[in-house]
Amino acid sequence: MRYVIVGNSAAAVGCITGIRKVDKENEIVVISYEDRCYSKPMIADVLVDFPEEKLLYRDEKFFEENGVTQILGHKAISINPESKVVVLDSGELVPYDKLLISTGAVPFVPPIEGSDKKGVFTFTELGSAKAFKEYIKENNVKEVIIIGSGFIGLEVAYFLREIGINVTVVELLDRVLGKALDKRGSEIVEKMLRDKGVNFIFNNTVERIEGDEKVTSVTLKSGDVLRADAVVVAIGVRPNVELAKTAGVEVNRGIVTDDHMATNVPDIYAAGDCIECLDITDGQRKPLPLFPLAFEQGFVAGLNMAGKKMEYLGGLPLNSLKFLEKPVLNAGIVEPPDDSYEVILNDQFEKKGYYRKAIIKDNRLVGFVAIGEIDRVGILTNLIRQRIDVSGIKDRLVSLDFGLVDLPQEWRKEKLVEDKTAYKDWRAV
Amino acid sequence: MSGKKRKLMKVYPIEENCISCRYCEVACTMVHSESQDPVKAYKLEGLKPRPTVEVKGAVSLSVMCRHCKHPFCFDACISGAITVDKNGKVNLDEDKCVGCWNCVLVCPFGAAHPFVERKHSFKCDLCEERGFPACVEACPNRALIYDFER
Ligand SMILES: Cc1cc2nc3c(=O)[nH]c(=O)nc-3n(C[C@H](O)[C@H](O)[C@H](O)COP(=O)(O)OP(=O)(O)OC[C@H]3O[C@@H](n4cnc5c(N)ncnc54)[C@H](O)[C@@H]3O)c2cc1C
Ligand code: SF4
Ligand code: SF4
Repeated sequence: MRYVIVGNSAAAVGCITGIRKVDKENEIVVISYEDRCYSKPMIADVLVDFPEEKLLYRDEKFFEENGVTQILGHKAISINPESKVVVLDSGELVPYDKLLISTGAVPFVPPIEGSDKKGVFTFTELGSAKAFKEYIKENNVKEVIIIGSGFIGLEVAYFLREIGINVTVVELLDRVLGKALDKRGSEIVEKMLRDKGVNFIFNNTVERIEGDEKVTSVTLKSGDVLRADAVVVAIGVRPNVELAKTAGVEVNRGIVTDDHMATNVPDIYAAGDCIECLDITDGQRKPLPLFPLAFEQGFVAGLNMAGKKMEYLGGLPLNSLKFLEKPVLNAGIVEPPDDSYEVILNDQFEKKGYYRKAIIKDNRLVGFVAIGEIDRVGILTNLIRQRIDVSGIKDRLVSLDFGLVDLPQEWRKEKLVEDKTAYKDWRAV
Repeated sequence: MSGKKRKLMKVYPIEENCISCRYCEVACTMVHSESQDPVKAYKLEGLKPRPTVEVKGAVSLSVMCRHCKHPFCFDACISGAITVDKNGKVNLDEDKCVGCWNCVLVCPFGAAHPFVERKHSFKCDLCEERGFPACVEACPNRALIYDFER
């Protein structure tokens, strides 16, 4: 038996962990065109001269201890499911018995005129982050335009301000994090970033990137022209499905997997940003490119690949804005789509620096936002995951001392006394 | 006997016995401090306890990291600061932690706490260096017991 994993990030490490829970012996091979197992959510730190070794997610010791062979610096260009081999760009053939595709996501770049000029960057790989950092130094960059106010765009904006560069974020919607956060949350985040010196332009977008060879300015849809020494396109990512397609794997909005993380092609599994995942808040299958979910999917895939049947329960979208002075956390549905939802607020942001919001449907918590005071909000995340009835404790959900004492005594008995904390025990009821 | 599993010893709260005196919180803060002094630990070092005493009406209990069999904090940790040792003990390396708060966001027990000012999380380490959990020792009512995993 030989396990092969394409990709060397969150989902791959989850998969190795899962396989080794069941199978301590058989060989695992990991393939990646990048040169190390680093943490993607941490790459913005390179902008502020963060020591690079700190970006490591798993070191050599991890791979050694788990008996994993790494093939680094090579791209997998195709998969032949008949002969069960992965073909590398070097021509090497890597045979597999069970294969995981965890090729992640690629940045989405809309067709903007001039986006091929020097000085236009995306920001989703260590390589691209470092290239951007180099460009800033070599070209004495003073003004940066960021297209898109998602998590990545805002993080880049924040760190550029840390190193004294002027930043303007151009956003098509009327607020930051329009897809991820509620209106009040956006307002708070925007204020924190404005205080930091970030400029925002809403309801607008970049139509053309100007300059001869290098970027010198951008023309907005409104007709305005802004100086730009560099442009970062951070509109979003989409599943990287190129390799999967060569194997005839079914792809919809991302790679399609069943409850065991298996694709339609025998012995090929997939996990992470490259797949479409069941969103437990609305029952839809969609790309949910988030680190904890990638790990968990990889973990479940690994268990199944090694022969332990385990179902994936679906993912809960959750986010943490990790760079601001005040933490911003959210999970599930943050803006009720219609009036069948109940909203409970505890907005003390102006007075006490915190904001809490809970969204409830049919007596179940389906989402929350926590800004400023975030201690113990994981209890709320679990209420969503386990669909616990909150009818008697609705107002408590947004108070800072909400805790396990508010949960059914039965729950405490099961988890605290009987120690039911294995993966299968966290199933939604 | 299922000899395979019962390797890890951890702290179990007994809510019937808890009187919310918070001795466990004080003891924890003290043993994790530079000064080893309960008052200085809170006031000068600004430390916070790893267990949380929760009170509601007549019910109270002390909650600390459960060293879960499936730790969501471990899945979610972006820096590799959270590791699980061979006995199942879940460790959080405060120096490696980058303060992304993912563990805080996913811990079902609210047991991974944010230290926002210092940009790292912290949680119960079972007093590994000390050899015996200070909270258990400090509890006057046997509301915390140190026992093998169930
Ligand atoms: C700047 C930034 C900040 C982020 N912040 C957060 C955050 O705060 N919280 C959060 O939850 N998520 C965050 N994310 C998202 C998170 O990084 C991803 O969800 C997670 O990394 C997905 O893991 P993955 O294993 O699916 O794939 P990826 O991390 O995308 O890794 C893909 C791997 O596949 C390899 N690969 C791809 N194609 C091939 C091929 N053909 N041959 C060989 N190797 C290949 C790559 O080299 C890489 O090793 C952030 C992402 C970015 C870019
Ligand atoms: S911090 Fe929370 S999730 Fe992690 S092991 Fe402890 S109780 Fe479990
Ligand atoms: S806050 Fe620290 S320990 Fe917690 S998940 Fe983030 S990096 Fe890991």
